[in-house]
Amino acid sequence: MLRFFGFRLLRAAITIVMVVTFAFVVLRLSGDPALLIMSVDAPPEAVAAFRTAWGLDEPLWVQYFKYFSAIFEGDLGRSMRDGRPALTLVLERVPATLALTIPALLIKLCIGIPAGITAALHRNSLLDRLVMALAVAGFTIPSFVLGLLLVLLFAVQLGWLPSGGQESWRHAILPVITLGVGGAAVLARFTRSAMLEVLGQPYIRTASAKGVPWRAVVWGHALPNAAIPTVTIVGFMVGSLIAGAVVVESVFSWPGVGRLLVVAVANRDLAVVQCILLLVAATMVTSNLVVDLLYGALDPRLRSGLASAPKGAAA
Amino acid sequence: MMDRRTLLATGAAALLPRFAIAQADQRPSITIAVQRISNSNTLETLREQSNVGSRTWNSYGETLIETDWLGDLSPMPGLATEWRRIDDRTVELKLRQGVRFHDGTPMTAEDVAFSFGPERMGWAAAGAQPRGLFVATPGEAGRTPPPEVPAVARRTYPGFERIEIVDAQTVRYVNRTPDPTIEGRITRNTGMILSRAAFAGASSWLDHSRRPIGTGPYRVVEFRPDQSLTLEAFDDYWGGRPPVRRIRFMEVPEVSSRINALLSGEADFACDMPPDQIATIARSPRHEVVGDAIMNHRLTVFDTTHPVLANPLIRRAITHAIDRAAIVAALWDGRAPIPRGLQFEHYGPMFHADWEAPRFDIAETRRLLREANYRGEPIPYRLLNNYYANQTATAQILIEGWRAAGLNIRIEMRENFTQIFDRTTQRGIRDWSNSASYGDPVSSLVAGFGPEGQAWQVGEWRNAEFGTLSGVLESSMDMAERRAAFRRMLQIAEREDPVYTVLHQSVNLMAKRRDIAWRAGKSFFMDFRARNWGG
Repeated sequence: MLRFFGFRLLRAAITIVMVVTFAFVVLRLSGDPALLIMSVDAPPEAVAAFRTAWGLDEPLWVQYFKYFSAIFEGDLGRSMRDGRPALTLVLERVPATLALTIPALLIKLCIGIPAGITAALHRNSLLDRLVMALAVAGFTIPSFVLGLLLVLLFAVQLGWLPSGGQESWRHAILPVITLGVGGAAVLARFTRSAMLEVLGQPYIRTASAKGVPWRAVVWGHALPNAAIPTVTIVGFMVGSLIAGAVVVESVFSWPGVGRLLVVAVANRDLAVVQCILLLVAATMVTSNLVVDLLYGALDPRLRSGLASAPKGAAA
Repeated sequence: MMDRRTLLATGAAALLPRFAIAQADQRPSITIAVQRISNSNTLETLREQSNVGSRTWNSYGETLIETDWLGDLSPMPGLATEWRRIDDRTVELKLRQGVRFHDGTPMTAEDVAFSFGPERMGWAAAGAQPRGLFVATPGEAGRTPPPEVPAVARRTYPGFERIEIVDAQTVRYVNRTPDPTIEGRITRNTGMILSRAAFAGASSWLDHSRRPIGTGPYRVVEFRPDQSLTLEAFDDYWGGRPPVRRIRFMEVPEVSSRINALLSGEADFACDMPPDQIATIARSPRHEVVGDAIMNHRLTVFDTTHPVLANPLIRRAITHAIDRAAIVAALWDGRAPIPRGLQFEHYGPMFHADWEAPRFDIAETRRLLREANYRGEPIPYRLLNNYYANQTATAQILIEGWRAAGLNIRIEMRENFTQIFDRTTQRGIRDWSNSASYGDPVSSLVAGFGPEGQAWQVGEWRNAEFGTLSGVLESSMDMAERRAAFRRMLQIAEREDPVYTVLHQSVNLMAKRRDIAWRAGKSFFMDFRARNWGG
């Protein structure tokens, strides 16, 4: 188990380094922050002064070495636009994003999983078709389209809710719904598929044949076995809590990490982009690690697999 | 000795006016949805050089000489009531009396000297700046401006020597060399007058740049970078009580979201409207689109190092295959004027009214291409996706016109200006816009295409005669000589050895509540002074 855990940690660290390295190289090769932040009409001397001040005139490998050296000292750099530590800037935005993504995750879980189970238990019924039609609509409508439709209806036509901003809890309602609907639809489809697969297994038939009440069969045998693919998806959703609302934050002018990322990428505010990607990668990797461990808890057969890792990786 | 009754009466009398003002303050508060408030996340005009920044600065800051943005763009008294030339290098300005900063302190000649001095402009710091901007530690080092500030200052005031305080009401702007455009340069937003004491009291340059203490009709209450800027009426404003109690600029990056904010009543103005949204706004009886041509021209720029474009005949051919009227009609609702070359009417006596943009003439293009022996060699056209309003659609119209004339020009989409200027592959044609921030061609033609200009600096184009004439324009005090030099420069840059061709004048459109009587000016700046409110 310890070996398995150590292997996963090493793999997580390598993943994070690769993400940060990729971002470092791509950002520097695809645009000059001096021109983007100071505007194209800025005097060449000003642009040159900016580059020198931020060390952008140094060879890429020197910049890379300095960046990684600083990371190990806990310094993730400073924003070129803001002058403040990138980590501080990003952490300031995290609560705003979580204020959307956590309620949205709850909506996804509370609607998506029961809807998927219900659809599976009533396979080919009108209810099943209705749930799946809604699910298909939910995850095929892009979030920016859904968001704008909701704004047109509830803000512009009915005037019930604000169209954007972050002044009160009412401002969060439409973005949370926009985020929640798509995820709930995805979860419903995955849960339904997983349940249908499990319900067709011989041990379900055996349990029913032995006279176990259907409710107990579903709760005791079907759901735990169907949970594994669902947990994978939920793990992914948890991993994207920090930067999973980029589009929605832009549509609703919500000042979270997603909007900060868009602005920072557009301006090649290098330290800020790298800091966000570092946090996203760390969150995603941690979430995956937890999911791996949950597999073992959900399915005893996988525990032996975990014990013989790395070759018996559960995923 | 004051008795208790007198004391109470005095106190009540002192409080009454403010209480009365507060009670009577029926002034509206407004919200303005904008795409971006500041590119640099500061409100210091020496760092915030973008169009979006120019929307707000004149609400909290003012210059000695202002520009009549609502009128003919001519210079007008600002914090200086009058000015006169002492000699070729010196302009004397009489300071307006009774002007107060937002912290209540009076504006003095020392504040003017500070605003152009080394502390703010960073003259002394040039070249000595350590690596790493925005030193955040309090103290002297913390107030050292970032290194691009002195670079911007040097470019804006290239011959600046000093501000000389003559007396408490008079200052002199002294240049090292003769300069006919000093008055124009003083109108630049970089010359807004700020409180010296407030700067000295700021914990860092960054803090000061986010809450500058100026003299404008509105003071900065809160600036939340990337989110909002809140301004509040400054009732001690020398120009009278501002008509709006509170102005909130709210950053809404998406066009559709800005329109929704307007239509739902959350915003009173929605800025940065693309022309294709005019019809959408027009459907609402409570709203309207306003806007005017601003002192900015959209250009197509040539890289003369391209083997095909090295031949000026090809460049001339390209300029004649552009149907400017069609672009304006199709994409700008007919609102964008077609300028007379890279010049503006507010140049006054320097404006050449008989100059024309190259006429749309496909036959002339074909004739020039034959003369140049053009065989259809491809010419790259590097394009950003709507960095300028309607940029991509304009490019598509251009391409079709060029194709019809026999030119093989190919669009290459790019993500940013670094990629536009990248020299690892051959550059060809690109887009640009050029502003005239004051009424003289030095502010646009020389700034854009002279030896210190962008096209020259990035190696797209050089012309020795043009360079020499730039010097004449910048330093000659003989109006006739300057006018002739300008004419010759237009001849070179637009006809003989074209480096650019004008497409149309830019238009700044915004949507607003119809019941608000307010006019858009000829710049991105939004004027909320009493003169532009309530009709």
